[in-house]
Amino acid sequence: MASQDPRDEDEVCPVCKSSRYLNPNMRFLINPECYHKMCESCVDRIFSSGPASCPVAGCRKTLRKNRFRQQTFEDIGVEREVDIRRRVMHILNRREEEFDSKRAYDDFLEQREEIIANLVYRTDVAKTEAQLQAYAQENIQSIKANQALEEQEATSFQKKILMEQEEARMRQQIAREEYENERREQQATREDFLTRLASGSAADVAAITHDGHKVHLKKSSARRSEEDRIRQKQAALRGTEGKRTGTPLAMGETPGATSGAGLIKGLRKIKTPEPEKPYDPFMGLVPGKRDYYTQLESYPYAFLDKLRSDTTVQAGGYDLQEYYSRTLLEAFAGLGCFVQEEVAQREASSALGISKPAATEGAAMAAVGRNTA
Amino acid sequence: MKFFIDDLPVLFPYPRVYPEQYAYMCDLKKTLDAGGHCVLEMPSGTGKTISLLSLIVAYQQHYPEHRKLIYCSRTMSEIEKALAELKGLMKYRSQELGFEEEFRALGLTSRKNLCLHPSVKREKSGTVVDARCRSLTAGFVKEKKERGEEVDLCIYHEVCQFDSSGLYYSANWVSKNLDLLEPHNLVPPGVFTLDGLSRYGEEHKQCPYFSARRMMPWCNIIIYSYHYLLDPKIAERVSRELSKDCIVVFDEAHNIDNVCIESLSIDLSEDSLRKATRGATNLERKIEEMKSTDAEKLQNEYSKLVEGLQQAEQAREEDQFISNPVLPDDLLKEAVPGNIRRAEHFVSFLKRFIEYLKTRMKVTHTISETPPSFLTHLKDLTYIERKPLRFCAERLTSLVRTLELVNIEDYQPLQEVATFATLVATYEKGFVLILEPFESEAATVPNPILHFTCLDAAIAIKPVFDRFSSVIITSGTLSPLEMYPKMLGFTTVLQESYSMTLARRSFLPMIVTRGSDQAQVSSSFGIRNDPGVVRNYGTLVTEFARITPDGVVVFFPSYLYMESIISMWQGMGILDQIWNYKLILVETPDAQESSLALETYRTACCNGRGAILFCVARGKVSEGIDFDHHYGRAVLCIGVPFQYTESRILKARLEFLRENYRIRENDFLSFDAMRHAAQCLGRVLRGKDDYGVMVLADRRFERKRPQLPKWINQAMLDSETNLSTDMAVANAKNFLRTMAQPFKSRDQEGISTWSLADIERHEAKRKAEEARMMNQETAPVHQMNGAPSTIQIVEDEYDDDIDEDLMMLDAQ
Repeated sequence: MASQDPRDEDEVCPVCKSSRYLNPNMRFLINPECYHKMCESCVDRIFSSGPASCPVAGCRKTLRKNRFRQQTFEDIGVEREVDIRRRVMHILNRREEEFDSKRAYDDFLEQREEIIANLVYRTDVAKTEAQLQAYAQENIQSIKANQALEEQEATSFQKKILMEQEEARMRQQIAREEYENERREQQATREDFLTRLASGSAADVAAITHDGHKVHLKKSSARRSEEDRIRQKQAALRGTEGKRTGTPLAMGETPGATSGAGLIKGLRKIKTPEPEKPYDPFMGLVPGKRDYYTQLESYPYAFLDKLRSDTTVQAGGYDLQEYYSRTLLEAFAGLGCFVQEEVAQREASSALGISKPAATEGAAMAAVGRNTA
Repeated sequence: MKFFIDDLPVLFPYPRVYPEQYAYMCDLKKTLDAGGHCVLEMPSGTGKTISLLSLIVAYQQHYPEHRKLIYCSRTMSEIEKALAELKGLMKYRSQELGFEEEFRALGLTSRKNLCLHPSVKREKSGTVVDARCRSLTAGFVKEKKERGEEVDLCIYHEVCQFDSSGLYYSANWVSKNLDLLEPHNLVPPGVFTLDGLSRYGEEHKQCPYFSARRMMPWCNIIIYSYHYLLDPKIAERVSRELSKDCIVVFDEAHNIDNVCIESLSIDLSEDSLRKATRGATNLERKIEEMKSTDAEKLQNEYSKLVEGLQQAEQAREEDQFISNPVLPDDLLKEAVPGNIRRAEHFVSFLKRFIEYLKTRMKVTHTISETPPSFLTHLKDLTYIERKPLRFCAERLTSLVRTLELVNIEDYQPLQEVATFATLVATYEKGFVLILEPFESEAATVPNPILHFTCLDAAIAIKPVFDRFSSVIITSGTLSPLEMYPKMLGFTTVLQESYSMTLARRSFLPMIVTRGSDQAQVSSSFGIRNDPGVVRNYGTLVTEFARITPDGVVVFFPSYLYMESIISMWQGMGILDQIWNYKLILVETPDAQESSLALETYRTACCNGRGAILFCVARGKVSEGIDFDHHYGRAVLCIGVPFQYTESRILKARLEFLRENYRIRENDFLSFDAMRHAAQCLGRVLRGKDDYGVMVLADRRFERKRPQLPKWINQAMLDSETNLSTDMAVANAKNFLRTMAQPFKSRDQEGISTWSLADIERHEAKRKAEEARMMNQETAPVHQMNGAPSTIQIVEDEYDDDIDEDLMMLDAQ
């Protein structure tokens, strides 16, 4: 773009010293390794046979031909800054909604600016680079997710713009058509009016004039109401379309990142939703599980040991386990109830006058349960 | 004279009142009582200003609320005129009442017009005066002085300077004025014209500009220019403390939509971008300097910004030079985004933005895009996001204040860029960016200009309507009235157009559609350079130059057309013929040349046979300059003054109006052309004893007649709407002969001027009429009126016919 500027005629390639005056089609290229400017023919000449060092005196960078490109900005400094920025922003692409507070996000923005400034002004390059790399490796997932999000936003925005343009064009066309129709109609009425005047007798003149005017008025008012109707329809249409286009942006805002980064502070803790468990009909109640004890296979008790091997007892279907279970349950029953407390509670509530028989409460709960079921 | 409107006693400083003035005051009072906005169209030269002022002053003094009046006018001379009228009115009131009322009225205008500093006031450019004044009056300069540094201060400013406790900063200047000057008593009560204020300031060694600014909260009436209320950059600073019940009047408001639009539009050229880069580099250097000398200050600013803008806001004073162009209700309540918090980051941010704009400027085809698409492209290329962009202006202000920059005019372009950034990031709708790489179609050397244009006049004026309960929009030409509420987005309680009561027919409006050879004349694009049309226009002008005494004013639609037609007339020998009767003078785009031409014109009208002035319907002459009495006896409007329809900006605006306000392209163009034509016609008639001929010379005017203001339209006979040159000349001759007869002011009494008795008679009649109407309503009307005369001449039958060649031909 810059090279197409016809005004700087005496621009000279710093390498081969050929000027634009002699070669009006000269284009300048730069390489993001060292940002030294040179003309296209120099690039072809020097780098065609593989990588070579930069021809500018004092610069020993090795350049490759495929990295050469045109510069976007006039100011080389800004060009370089934008390149660096592109790289850093690619990595540090946290979004505002990932932070606890605005303040934290602002701090992050400032930190990013600092990093970019460090790279641009070549202070602490090694350290900053190391930090960046470390961050990139730690947060690969969130970086990717955010990139995808960004892309999605860009495309949906593009789509929206296109659609708006199309709509505007349609509206314009409709307006123009409306206009044409109106004109044609008016012309027709006028012609009709004139022919009637020409053919009618002198006595009719007044009547025809009056008629013509009335027709004209009627038509224009009819047209107006028609227009209003169409407009309302269009407005309604536009409203629904707006709603439709609004959704894709709102969607897909689930942050996919998992771990907090060491580099950035103030990141919101991301709660990954627990994976859904299989359906449990007992609502977490495990059959056979006891609160205070675990039932063992057998208990050493001489009287029972005998029964274990006694086929006469066994034949009737007597199950020792059943016995254990019943006895243990009886032994531990009521251990979780504290009568004193409950009594105190009941007395307190009855003193306030809101005592409710437990039975009715239970009935009410049951009713609710039935309703919801 | 003194009369009552309802229960309100109005003191009117003249012995007679015009009927339309009386009606105007009645309607005005109704609006104020109802508390709403209104649009009033009053014929030019019928004492609009004085009736407005006398009613509102009476209203203020009679009712206990003492609502403040903010009177906005267009030019400085109009402000001065209004102040002088107000002064006369107050004098009359004190005579009548027998005591002086406690009353203050001040006018405010730019520093350039009010400055008293011996060297600063000699500067020619307004921005330089502003900058130098700030360098002498800013708060930090004074601090330096107190610290004992050697800095210049403005002695005039020092006197009216005090801190919040009402004590003065520098005791040595104040000692003599100490007892006199309290914050609300910088100037004594009364009405001060701008001149009077300057004189007072000179006598008391105090700055008139700052006195007026500080006194504003205590004034009953403030008179200043539109911009102090409409331009958000200025309004936020000047008009912030005005209370909600103020009465706001926009006088001469027919162009108010354009003022609104201009106040939010910005043009950037390559040159200004280059200067902005220089400004940014300077800033960078200053930051480096400050870092080495006074790093603490930068750190303070930084921590303030971290806390949020609110705190930074407190430091706001009038020495602040850039203000946020965003309207008050959008004011940023958040903290500055982190990536422009540090000064050096902000400067690199600005540099990047400017470089981006420069890159955009390199394109060789015209581009028009919306702010959102501009922002996306910006983000793609430079990673500048929308939010920090919004804070650009605010951040720059803060930085400039911290760096204590004095020579602020160097940063003007940078400020413009910052303002642009803030606006583009704030408003999505109602704005458009247009990049025009070439100045004209034919140009080959690119001179790119980036127009950031506001399309919606309602955006700038919205805060005014939201904030003040009564806004009155008034002018001589506002037809069609319903256009203004539509365009500016407000509702009125009253819109009224008054006709002119005349004892004799003192102006003659005519529409000339054909030349003397019966060929139609028009300035439409297809035939405007036809030799026949040009010759016909030439004959028209020659004939009028021959029959009219003293001054003749001729308006053309554009400079371009005027030049081409004058050169053709030269070839045809028409100028030589005109020369026999009148001196020929021409308006040019150059202001000084034009004012010289105008002066010569006036001299020629006062001595000898008079002169003819060729000017342009949208030029300076058509807007602010009066041709009263012999300065203008005839005005000719050659062609319909349409805007240049190919302009991208106009096209964008038309489309916006169609999409958002349902105003058709042609309706708007025609409305705009007719308001300018009406303005031109109104130039010639500046009072009831004045007279003049008004000629509209284009066949297209015939259809547009209903769009003329009511007072012109009513005075036009049906027989005079379709004339050829010779008929028009005969008519005008006749008219001028009648006007030459002696005319005594006694003849007007009771008809076009009312004494007190006439008003009472009118009131009695009106009351009787009202009573009759009431009776009629209660008693049902039985007999239907028989069909009203079936023979009805439909005069405007094809009035809303479409002007087919308007778009098609003018547009080419």
